Amino acid sequence: MGDLVFNAAAGAVFGYQLLWVVVVGVVGIITYSEMCGRVAAVSKRAVFDAVRERLGYKVGLVALVAAQIVNLMTLAAEVGGVAVVLRLLSGLPYRALIVLGVVVLVLVIWALPFEYLERIFGYVGLCLIVFAVAAVKLNPDWGAVARGFVPSAETGDLLLYCYFAVGLLGAAMTPYEVYFYSSGAVEEGWTPSDLRTNKANAIIGYGLGGFLSFALMISAGALLLPHGITPDFLGTVALMAQSPLGEIGLFLALIGMLFAVGGAALDVAFSGAYSLAQFFGWEWGKYRQPTGAPRFTLTWLVLFGLAGLVILTGVDPILVTEFSVIFSAVALPLTYVPILLVANDRAYMGSYANGKLGNVFGVVYLFVILVIAVAAVPLLLLTNLGQG
Amino acid sequence: MSRPIDLALGLLDHQVVDCEGRRCGKVDDLELAGVRDGRPVVAELLVGRRRTVHVPWDAVAKVDSAVHLKVRAAELRLGRGDDRVRPWFARLPLS
Repeated sequence: MGDLVFNAAAGAVFGYQLLWVVVVGVVGIITYSEMCGRVAAVSKRAVFDAVRERLGYKVGLVALVAAQIVNLMTLAAEVGGVAVVLRLLSGLPYRALIVLGVVVLVLVIWALPFEYLERIFGYVGLCLIVFAVAAVKLNPDWGAVARGFVPSAETGDLLLYCYFAVGLLGAAMTPYEVYFYSSGAVEEGWTPSDLRTNKANAIIGYGLGGFLSFALMISAGALLLPHGITPDFLGTVALMAQSPLGEIGLFLALIGMLFAVGGAALDVAFSGAYSLAQFFGWEWGKYRQPTGAPRFTLTWLVLFGLAGLVILTGVDPILVTEFSVIFSAVALPLTYVPILLVANDRAYMGSYANGKLGNVFGVVYLFVILVIAVAAVPLLLLTNLGQG
Repeated sequence: MSRPIDLALGLLDHQVVDCEGRRCGKVDDLELAGVRDGRPVVAELLVGRRRTVHVPWDAVAKVDSAVHLKVRAAELRLGRGDDRVRPWFARLPLS
């Protein structure tokens, strides 16, 4: 949801100018995930094991609470997104679809082995590639697109530009992705021999995400900007595929959004359960039966219930998405710093500790993360939630 | 078990795993037996912040990224939180 909302909105307001920020964000999440995957493979610790060990109980608890608040907001945004897409597909009442969406997601996660879930949500979510086709069909000014990869700001509203930059970085580097990724690596018993796979997974997986972000921003820049439309509704995002590609484009966009957002909901709910279980030492695992990891299961069920209730109050899912992304930018240092410390610690990591290049990236991104963490809330207020 | 361990970084807040691989708490605190040769000697691990379980050092098999126990969690009354919630799911299908 964060990527859908911020990329489309940034394209609609600033055209292709912020494409370079997507690159910074994607390289950031690759750096961070690769580090977390390496820590998991070498030291057998998932993110919140490391947070607890490095920050101790009290400070670690602050990181945990912050992560859970952001996770819940993110999950609410995803649940809202699922309901909105279902409404666009079916025309049924929104509130009924929120309940239906949550119930179906919970039942599917309960009933199907994780391998199937991963494939269903992942492969069907690839329908989002329709936005890449749409971007090409919309015949953008490729020279202007290319210039977007070079940092520049031709705008009278620098604050809004910065707000979108922070939002794009926050959306690209959402921490739940690394909780999920590192926990999976521990559970699958990765060893140092899996480090090449780790690097390839991070680069290909997040690279594909970056590609879709480009497609969304370019489509929005080519279609919405000239008409002065801002995508205040998720339907507007789907229309970016309908305009150049017709009904089939709209249908593929909606199905892709449904499964991508539904899959993200699963990842976020599990990430919340992983963090809590790892912090307190409970049994956890996405491959386990509910009775094999009872409190872990209870946690993701409760998170789904709470997220559903938040959205049932009628808050706008787009607004929830913006808040969740901005606050995840604020909370990012709380998980990034312990991981950077552990990845550098030769007592944990031996010869697999960060090398020179890894540390250069690590420190540069530490700086980026600290800047966006400090700037996020002031920008949110100063730009009146990005309304300018 | 006389190998020196950095108590703050190498033991405290570590995952506790029983002899069957079950995760059953974190090392929340330590009970020291005294000082031998200028080094503190651990008598017990304290696991759980409420309803704390005292795990005698003799029950520890090895310490790496986790503290591995020689015994099953239930023998030390560890992992009761998960045990309490398990029956809620046990009757449901596919659980």
